[in-house]
Amino acid sequence: MATLTEARADAERRERRRTLTPGRITAWVAMIVFLVLTLFPFYWMLRTALSTTRSLPSNPGSLLPVDFTWGAFQRVLGLSSQAQAIAEGGSGASVNFWLYLRNSVFYAGAVTIGQVFFCAMAAYAFARLRWPGRNVVFGIFLGALLVPPIFTSLPNFILVKNLGLLNTLPGMILPTFLMTPFAIFFLRQFFLGISREIEESAALDGAGPWRTFFRIILPMSTAPVTTLAILTFIQTWNDYFWPLLVGNSEQTKVLTVALGVFRSQTPAGSPDWAGLMAATLVAAAPVLLLFFAFARRIIDSIGYSGVK
Amino acid sequence: MSRSTRTKAGAAVAAFAALTLSLTACAGETTPSASGSAGGQAAGEISYWLWDSNQKPVYQQCADAFAAANPSVKVNITQYSWDDYWTNVTNGFVAGTAPDVFTNHLSKYPEFVTQGQLEPLDEYLAADGVKTDVYQKGLADLWVAQDGKRYGLPKDFDTVAIFYNKAVLKDAGVAEADLQKLTWNPTDGGTYEKMIAHLTLDANGKRGDEAGFDKSRVKVYGLGLDGGSGGGNGQTQWSMYSGTTGWTVTDKNPWGTAYNYDKPEFQGTIAWMRSLIEKGYMPSLESVTGQSSADIFGAGKYAMITNGSWMINQMFSYKGVETGLAPTPIGPSGKRSSMYNGLADSVWVGSKNKAAAVKWVEFLGSAACQDLVGKSGVVFPAIPSGTDAASAAFAAKGIDVASSFLVHVTDGTTFLFPITDNASQVTNLMTPAVDAVFTGKARADSLTAVNEQVNALFTG
Amino acid sequence: MFIAPALLGFVVFYLYPTIRGFYFSMTQYNILGTPKWIGFDNFARIGKDPLFWNALWVTIEYVALNIGFQTVIALVLAVLMQRLTKSTVLRGALLLPWLISNVIAAMVWFWLLDYQIGLVNQFLEWTGLSRIAFFGDEFWAIPTVAFVNVWRHMGYTALLVFAGLQTIPRYVYEAASIDGSSEWSSFWRMTLPLLRPVLAMILVITVTGSFQVFDTVAVTTRGGPVNVTRVIQYYIYQKGFAEGQFGYASALSVVLFLILAVMAALQLRLLRAGESDLA
Repeated sequence: MATLTEARADAERRERRRTLTPGRITAWVAMIVFLVLTLFPFYWMLRTALSTTRSLPSNPGSLLPVDFTWGAFQRVLGLSSQAQAIAEGGSGASVNFWLYLRNSVFYAGAVTIGQVFFCAMAAYAFARLRWPGRNVVFGIFLGALLVPPIFTSLPNFILVKNLGLLNTLPGMILPTFLMTPFAIFFLRQFFLGISREIEESAALDGAGPWRTFFRIILPMSTAPVTTLAILTFIQTWNDYFWPLLVGNSEQTKVLTVALGVFRSQTPAGSPDWAGLMAATLVAAAPVLLLFFAFARRIIDSIGYSGVK
Repeated sequence: MSRSTRTKAGAAVAAFAALTLSLTACAGETTPSASGSAGGQAAGEISYWLWDSNQKPVYQQCADAFAAANPSVKVNITQYSWDDYWTNVTNGFVAGTAPDVFTNHLSKYPEFVTQGQLEPLDEYLAADGVKTDVYQKGLADLWVAQDGKRYGLPKDFDTVAIFYNKAVLKDAGVAEADLQKLTWNPTDGGTYEKMIAHLTLDANGKRGDEAGFDKSRVKVYGLGLDGGSGGGNGQTQWSMYSGTTGWTVTDKNPWGTAYNYDKPEFQGTIAWMRSLIEKGYMPSLESVTGQSSADIFGAGKYAMITNGSWMINQMFSYKGVETGLAPTPIGPSGKRSSMYNGLADSVWVGSKNKAAAVKWVEFLGSAACQDLVGKSGVVFPAIPSGTDAASAAFAAKGIDVASSFLVHVTDGTTFLFPITDNASQVTNLMTPAVDAVFTGKARADSLTAVNEQVNALFTG
Repeated sequence: MFIAPALLGFVVFYLYPTIRGFYFSMTQYNILGTPKWIGFDNFARIGKDPLFWNALWVTIEYVALNIGFQTVIALVLAVLMQRLTKSTVLRGALLLPWLISNVIAAMVWFWLLDYQIGLVNQFLEWTGLSRIAFFGDEFWAIPTVAFVNVWRHMGYTALLVFAGLQTIPRYVYEAASIDGSSEWSSFWRMTLPLLRPVLAMILVITVTGSFQVFDTVAVTTRGGPVNVTRVIQYYIYQKGFAEGQFGYASALSVVLFLILAVMAALQLRLLRAGESDLA
């Protein structure tokens, strides 16, 4: 029965979608404004990345690349010689692109898997299980959200050093592998929204909390869990300060750290703009692909929460 | 300390043991185990950090030359961008992972000395018979701290000059030679200000010294402003003017204990800078905040800009801008003036291989390495033969540094970068205060009160 | 136990450093020396420190602008995303700014907004308006920093809201449309209240996050000119790392922490984040 009314409602909605009311036009206009605002700087980055750094100021308002060259991308991918790089306004640093990419994938991937899994467990405990002191513990966890990074970076750095994990991937992964307050908070709020009835009927069937968690909660939360996973992955992918501290050897450098050489080299010098923009785009590309690969799943799982 | 993950398993275990041992006393362990080992056999791996990626290749050459002479020592060079460099150094001190040898800066080293993080070099140098009088005059003295000990060997130095845009000069009908003999004073700015006014151009084509000049629509500024007010030392903004008034930043240098920001010569210089902004000859502080002045110069928006010698290659690399060099103007003292800032290499007190570290510092401070650096034409090495090599290398690229940057060294018109304790606190007090004068929010005499705050740091 | 792994991570990487930080806030401590116990002296000093109050005020101004615009824009975008199109490409496009780091976002906008050679100012002049020193002007600096952060985060926040919208069952809307209420009124009557848990979470996270604004200021204005953009995190950094007054910086952090804790508690209470109207 539910499916029937739903199909009809769906059809109705689709019909409504096609007719262009003034409200819809306004909505589309708003959307397009936001899109332009969002995308223009990226066009600007691309245009800059395809320019020659030292030619840029000569035509700062040009919408097209100034002195078109692939040089910046070659520098980022480590394909240009030192002399060539310096001549184009870049730095002479060597870039071992594929190694950094591999490190980034491993670093962000491992953190994401660990964090999402362990935080989902904890979030479930906070949202659904009843145990003494639950709200107090949750409050304290939430407090971690407020801890200024100045407190944590140095002690964690020393801890990782004492564990002998400096300049290793495990050392980089460790602090965020088990939890971040954000992830727990995020999932808990979504788990709160899941109907209790389903769980209760599962409990009647004799399912324990573990079974309920794996069989009911997780499958029902594909959308938020996938969203969180993507967000965590991106966030970790963009991490700069922590990997710089603990993973700065050639073997463990991630992309963000390695491409930091395109920022200022001297106290007052200006950056290698073209190289920096090319580096940013190249580093963002894999994440973007990932997003498109998984975004479908978010959409596919939309109907889920509607069926009760 | 081994920073390489390529070390074999056995070495890694040993290193791990060393790490766990050192963790009990993170910052404190400073056993001067070195005294005996100077002059002895140096072996093993050492790490070396620097921030200028443009210089990494040439220092790699130095390392190769060093390796040829000392086959048992391996130097691993790491470069961090300026912003990350000091964070990494400080964290390295705390965690015991700082590099054996690193490029040190005058604005940082007094605090490192106070914190006991640098290894005194005197005994090693004496044992190895290394002379410190081989450098350009004054540079070596900068690195002797209040305790009378030496904490670094000079590597290179910088001075300040005027970069100008040849095309803008030509449009204004100014001969390049006219820039060579400008004079300045804080009252009316002298021929220097007249030149700046004439080179300023508004959107209607009126010059700064013509009637009807519209200061709200300036197309080309006669003089650029380098990214801020310059805080307490104004290295590239105003130090080349204040230095010609007979004013000194501190009572004595290095290691002064009282600042002179209450003196009329200094306040007059700052007031003159403000007047240039008010007249529309120089961009406002608001409009240059955080900016890299080089890119704006590259866009042809400045006729002249004062900047340091470390910017030479970048300033000459802009497409569409033909750059020239002139010395800074002659002031009331009848002489020119330039701040003289020097870098050095220092050894970290926690280095596990001080013998090798010192050998490397000695090599970096020797003519063998500095001549190589000079030939690469990036900076001015501290040893005269290296400076000459650099001068020749720039000349080969068509850049005449001898009559602009180096004239200060030949004429002895340099003054040393002010070195005192509490340097970063002074900066954090002075930057907002000088900013306020530049933006017109405060008068120059407001700096007298700030000077009292600054000097209170030294009496407390 | 479900929370065991998370608890371990929490104690080791958050709780321990925090307790240590509280201890340092009671000491005179240079990062390389040994801490010396001075009790509440640091806090007394904070009370009399005009730069702290200035930093706090600047930060609050920034947070208000940032949160105000970000939340409203994110809500609008999320509703638009839900109603207009299912296009993943569009969704991805809106998330793009979040894929680059704060530092890069700040640098790109700094370049675009530059007074002399920035595209935006060239455009302003072309339209006959006068140029604006976005990052340097006393009035514009903080709004500009806020703008850069809104730009980077709006797609991300919108996606969070959007995920929240997805958990609202369809029948709620259907019931509403049967009742004959317009989209507008059903948004206020249904959607917004049902979004409460998610909105509460987003608010708490964005408010605490924006109190920690640092990168954007560090790569552009460095707190200046004068003190107009010296936000509290930047002040802490200056005291702790640049001036080596780690004890004082820790005390500043503790104050910030307490302010945030009070605000978070208030927000959670006001928005009753613990309950969902559905459950």
